[in-house]
Amino acid sequence: MHELSERPAPLAETSDDVIAIRHVEKTFQQAGNPVHALSDVELTIERGEFVTLFGPSGCGKSTLLRIIAGLETQTSGSVSLFGQTPAEASRRKNISWVPQSSALLPWLSIRDNALLSDVVNRGADRAPHPERVHQDVDLVLEEMRLTDFAAALPSQLSGGMRQRAAIARGFVQGAPLMLMDEPFAALDELTRDSVRLHLLDVWERHRKTVVFVTHSAEEAALLSDRVAVMTPRPGRIAAMIDIDLPRPRTADLAETPEFHAKMNEIKRTLREGWKGDEP
Amino acid sequence: MSLALRGLSLRLLAPLLLFAVLAAGWQWVAFNLKSILPPLEAVAADIAVRPGFYLGNLSVTVEAALAGFAAGGGIAFVLAVAVIHFRFLRSAVVPVALLLNVTPVVAISPALIVAFGFNAVPHIIVAAVSAFFPMLINAMTGLDAIDPQALEVFDSMSASRMDILWRLRLPSSLPYLFSGARLSITAAMVGSIVSEFMGTAHGIGAAIVIATTYLNLSQMWGAIFISAVSTLLLIGLVGLIERLVVRW
Repeated sequence: MHELSERPAPLAETSDDVIAIRHVEKTFQQAGNPVHALSDVELTIERGEFVTLFGPSGCGKSTLLRIIAGLETQTSGSVSLFGQTPAEASRRKNISWVPQSSALLPWLSIRDNALLSDVVNRGADRAPHPERVHQDVDLVLEEMRLTDFAAALPSQLSGGMRQRAAIARGFVQGAPLMLMDEPFAALDELTRDSVRLHLLDVWERHRKTVVFVTHSAEEAALLSDRVAVMTPRPGRIAAMIDIDLPRPRTADLAETPEFHAKMNEIKRTLREGWKGDEP
Repeated sequence: MSLALRGLSLRLLAPLLLFAVLAAGWQWVAFNLKSILPPLEAVAADIAVRPGFYLGNLSVTVEAALAGFAAGGGIAFVLAVAVIHFRFLRSAVVPVALLLNVTPVVAISPALIVAFGFNAVPHIIVAAVSAFFPMLINAMTGLDAIDPQALEVFDSMSASRMDILWRLRLPSSLPYLFSGARLSITAAMVGSIVSEFMGTAHGIGAAIVIATTYLNLSQMWGAIFISAVSTLLLIGLVGLIERLVVRW
């Protein structure tokens, strides 16, 4: 061995079976001053895990998600998605991106919207990556309770249904990794509760690896296997919390003391790592 | 009477009433100052007596306008697509387009007749130049008016520029393209008529100029009314196509 590092690298760092985020930094210039959007972010995500990036605005959670998606590039550090760089994974359509608004195309039916990945970047389908398993659109629409609206235009649907259609689009693509950027933030509370349960239900069946961004502790506790609590200035992961609540999770779970304990643990961890914006 | 019905009848009645007031004013002027305006019934009679004269001239004008609209609008659209994909082109194209837009078409019309002779080509070119600018601006705006989050979805699966153009930019731009088409087709008609003031004996523009020479007020206003109504019909046709195409 020529070099001695301080601590030996864990096996996971070289494995193609995990998402490995190593020493990721993101700095950008604002009015001539460098801003640390992300500072030394380390995160390993197992295949099939549901991991949430939780934190207040400005903590870099969305920036981190965009770096994982390849929509932005880090200033330094590395990201490996099951052995591929974000750019490679994107070229193979191995990333499903679910944005904050549903971002459905208003001129396409719900079914055609869900099939978007079929008509875009067709080159990736000539030799489809073994990890991407295209899902049957009608089945996914049924799972999302959208069968009756398959032929409808997005403008004919409610906000919650549109968001369900956007999630359906993500699942139909069949990518091994789904990235969700606050997908329920624009919905009212009652709709949000119901769409969350829909997502849980469908995810239980598909068990995709999900990285989910939210600023809701309740959402984080309900959906995740693990929660990365992030704090701002500089954006970093302050703590990882295991959510060892049983699956499948239902609406009843949200009423249990165990659930509330987890939710409070997430909030407390955030408070301890971040004293708020007051001087 | 229901409120909705009353609203509808008011919407129909209000413009009719204004038309009636304007027509009455017109008739008063025509009756008292004979050299300024012809009586409306004289204009109507002239159109009714020789519809072939008006429709024949109109078809010459509309053909030139439509050819110019297709050429000018088409070139503008292709340029807009190019500008969207190669941003450096914007700084080159926009000033030239602006210059073209502020150049009075009447001023280039004689030069075009010198260059291309006494045929339809100069009139088509003037119509094309007139149609170009509104389509360029609307197409550039429309092709850029995409949902940024939808673009992220496309980018996340490495959509090609062609994918983004055909599946996202083009459908998003359709309402803007139709707005541009309405303005462009109006401008093409005006351009076509104005260019016919010179170097031709055919077309609505020529009919107006010839009527001026003979102080034939009825023919002059007949031609003006025919051109206005036909332009309105063309705009209506664009609107109809838009309603068939843009259904979301």
